[in-house]
Amino acid sequence: MGRYITRRVLQGFLTLFLVMFLLHLLTTLAIQLNGNPAQAFFGDRTPSPSQLAAVETRYGLDDPCYDQLGNPCIGPFVERLGDYAQGDFGESLRGRPVTDIVSTAAPNTLRLFVVVTITWLAIGMTLGGIAARRRGKASDHGIRGLSILIDALPIFVLLLVYKYIFSVPLSRWAKDTFGSDSLPALLFKPSFSPQHAWATLIVPGILLGLAGSAAFIRLVRAAQLETYNADHVRTARSKGLSERHVSRHHVVRNSAIPVVTAVGIVFTEALAGAVITEGMMNIYGMGGVLWKAVQDSDVSVVIGVVTLLAAVTVVVMLVVDVVYAALDPRIRYE
Amino acid sequence: MKTARLAAGLTALALVVTGCGGGDESEGDGDATVKLTLSQDVDTLLPMDSNVSDNISVLDVVYDGLVRYDPKTTKPYNYVAEDISSSDNTVWTIKIKDGLTFQNDEPVDAEAFARAWNYAAYGPNAMGNNYFFERVAGYDEMQGEYEEDDEGNVTVTTEPTAKELSGVKVVDPQTLEVTLNGPFAGFATMLGYTGFFPIAQECLDDIEACSTQPIGNGPFEIEEWDQGQSLTANKWDDYSLEETPDFSRIEWTEYSGDSDWADFEAGDIDASFPPPAEWQAAVSDPDLSSRMVEGPGAALSYVGFPMYLGKPFDDVEFRKAISMAIDRDTIIEKVVPGRFVAADSWVVPDGVPGGVAGTCEFCTFDPDAAKAALAKAGGWPKDKKLIIHLGEDPESEAIFKAVGDSIQLNLGIPYELDPTPDYFDRRSARDFTGIMRANWFPDYPLNENYLAPVYASGDPKEGNTNFGYYNADFEALIQEGDAAPDLETAVTKYQEAEKVLASDMASAPVAFSKNVMFYSDRLDNVVLDPFSGEVKLRLLQVN
Repeated sequence: MGRYITRRVLQGFLTLFLVMFLLHLLTTLAIQLNGNPAQAFFGDRTPSPSQLAAVETRYGLDDPCYDQLGNPCIGPFVERLGDYAQGDFGESLRGRPVTDIVSTAAPNTLRLFVVVTITWLAIGMTLGGIAARRRGKASDHGIRGLSILIDALPIFVLLLVYKYIFSVPLSRWAKDTFGSDSLPALLFKPSFSPQHAWATLIVPGILLGLAGSAAFIRLVRAAQLETYNADHVRTARSKGLSERHVSRHHVVRNSAIPVVTAVGIVFTEALAGAVITEGMMNIYGMGGVLWKAVQDSDVSVVIGVVTLLAAVTVVVMLVVDVVYAALDPRIRYE
Repeated sequence: MKTARLAAGLTALALVVTGCGGGDESEGDGDATVKLTLSQDVDTLLPMDSNVSDNISVLDVVYDGLVRYDPKTTKPYNYVAEDISSSDNTVWTIKIKDGLTFQNDEPVDAEAFARAWNYAAYGPNAMGNNYFFERVAGYDEMQGEYEEDDEGNVTVTTEPTAKELSGVKVVDPQTLEVTLNGPFAGFATMLGYTGFFPIAQECLDDIEACSTQPIGNGPFEIEEWDQGQSLTANKWDDYSLEETPDFSRIEWTEYSGDSDWADFEAGDIDASFPPPAEWQAAVSDPDLSSRMVEGPGAALSYVGFPMYLGKPFDDVEFRKAISMAIDRDTIIEKVVPGRFVAADSWVVPDGVPGGVAGTCEFCTFDPDAAKAALAKAGGWPKDKKLIIHLGEDPESEAIFKAVGDSIQLNLGIPYELDPTPDYFDRRSARDFTGIMRANWFPDYPLNENYLAPVYASGDPKEGNTNFGYYNADFEALIQEGDAAPDLETAVTKYQEAEKVLASDMASAPVAFSKNVMFYSDRLDNVVLDPFSGEVKLRLLQVN
């Protein structure tokens, strides 16, 4: 197991390095093609040359390689790697450290992901499990129909309907009934509130989780069905074990492997949904920060945030691989 | 067993949530707290660098300027200044009231203004309000010299030779003497703008800290700025001047692109504006519309012509034709209801001194006259498309698509929109082949600000950079206004200059912005700032 983990960690570092290098090449090319990102600092105003020069120097964009199309700008890349190694992730165009931005934004996104993952697992395991156990019956068809319905409702529609139709009257009612700082009033607040981060994230998280749960329901159903028909389950039944014992110890555990893998993959997909959710519910999170940084051509923030996200993804994948190996001993010996 | 464990987990989560939610009960509605919103774009609270309506409106209660503006007429009156005078409009003597301090007890004196202005004017500091000091003597020496290649890359050829404005002299602690490059009657009018606020020495010593935690001299102190999420300010107890509101705390929530309207409807914030889709519902709701306040805005959207290209853009009849072909009222009603009013002048009427309606004779929709004018100008080449250049902004794209439709319908000229991210670069490089969407947001309340910075150049050969416009009479009238003995005479001269623009149809005004705000039933005396469109916090009352 130790060697397996070491190997995966080293592969993770290599992936991260490649991601950073690719990102660097892309942003360098973008700067070389589109011209000076320091211009973005000034928005609508035309800066005086002295101001432009000052800003270029401040953000390390004065290296001549940025003016030569096709030059990979290895110098600034090595410099950046050195800075990152020392924990310096640079500053935004307005001089705010990227680490500071991330430390405010990341906890909100992580909270959102916690709620989303719980929702996935709760909905996926429950409905998928029921559908598998009652294969071909009305509840199976109902659940499969529901999963298609969920797929047909994109997250922004769910959020729009919730925010403009349900949240205002619900939040007014809860305030009048329970008081303005009560849990129900906070749950139905139309927007995120940093003072009540958990409470105001639950509903958006559940909606985002719900929107992504259809694939989970089908995956759990398929995985459990396969296991129900497996030899070891038949053996377990023939030994006279109770149906409950069989399904908990032999079916659920064995069918968990693809589900855990899917959590890792869908996690990265959820980030795309998070950009929309964060924007609509006014959550200051990683998706929104990245979105705005790209719009503002804020190079340091884009590179810093994407690097951190890549690192998180690599770590999540690693954890998934380890859990996978723990669940199925065959894997670590391959 | 499994379900029981899950239930226990959810209960634990619920407890965490409740524990987190039960906190600050004291901030209830009875408290005199105003809850407002800011856009997430606010990235500094440094006066020298603050130039968007959000941070300007925050700093309006955190800092006091030399002058303040009357909320109705926008006329300036002395506030921190005891007296501002000049005999020749070039050398200005500013007397500062005695005994005023910053929130850290440092004195608000001539030095406090001089250090702020020097910092802002020094090019390498890259402050957003740098260009406001162009008129002050010694500005050029603080910028240095640079070479700019075709791709906009800049190399320093000469470092700036000065770090201080030679035109700003501290005579004694209460007296500041400012020498301008030339006469300008409106100088005192500029002094209430955020870029001219004083700063404390402690702020200058640690600019980074000061940009998030400013040390003001106004009635409110910033308590905490959780950048990207919220900003809070409390009343400063030792405030000694008279203009201070009677509430004790302001809480701003920062919003990203999406609207805060649902939060306003839920009663979580005190003032908001509906998104276009909700506009009709809001104005037809008797309760909501009784809590709506409107006021003229200051921003002008207009059509600019690339006169430097020659025919047909340099023909005044062609410009008249385009202007008269635009059905301004219908466009606003259909595309951006409630947000704009049709413009028929270059200076916002009643918004700033000297602004009157109706100076643009050819801004009235008249398809027949437009066709006649186009024929007089020699018509439009068959099958050639009229390009409309504009920046990448959904709202102005919608408006200018309608403008293009209007031109196509009434003059038969096919058009094509060219939204570009490099709008400003391309415009100043004269890279446009057709008409352009332009927007002017004034920096200080004086009609001159709508005229000289946009159309004057002093360059008879090339004309001004953006449009290639030049008229000697216009330039002369602006100069006469700048040198006028008093502001009123100056304003009249500038008005005459606007008439020159009108006879040249130097551009076609399309719409002025309109400020609208809905407010909660807790608020009273809601007045909007014509410039920022935000609620005037010092006048606001909380029930």
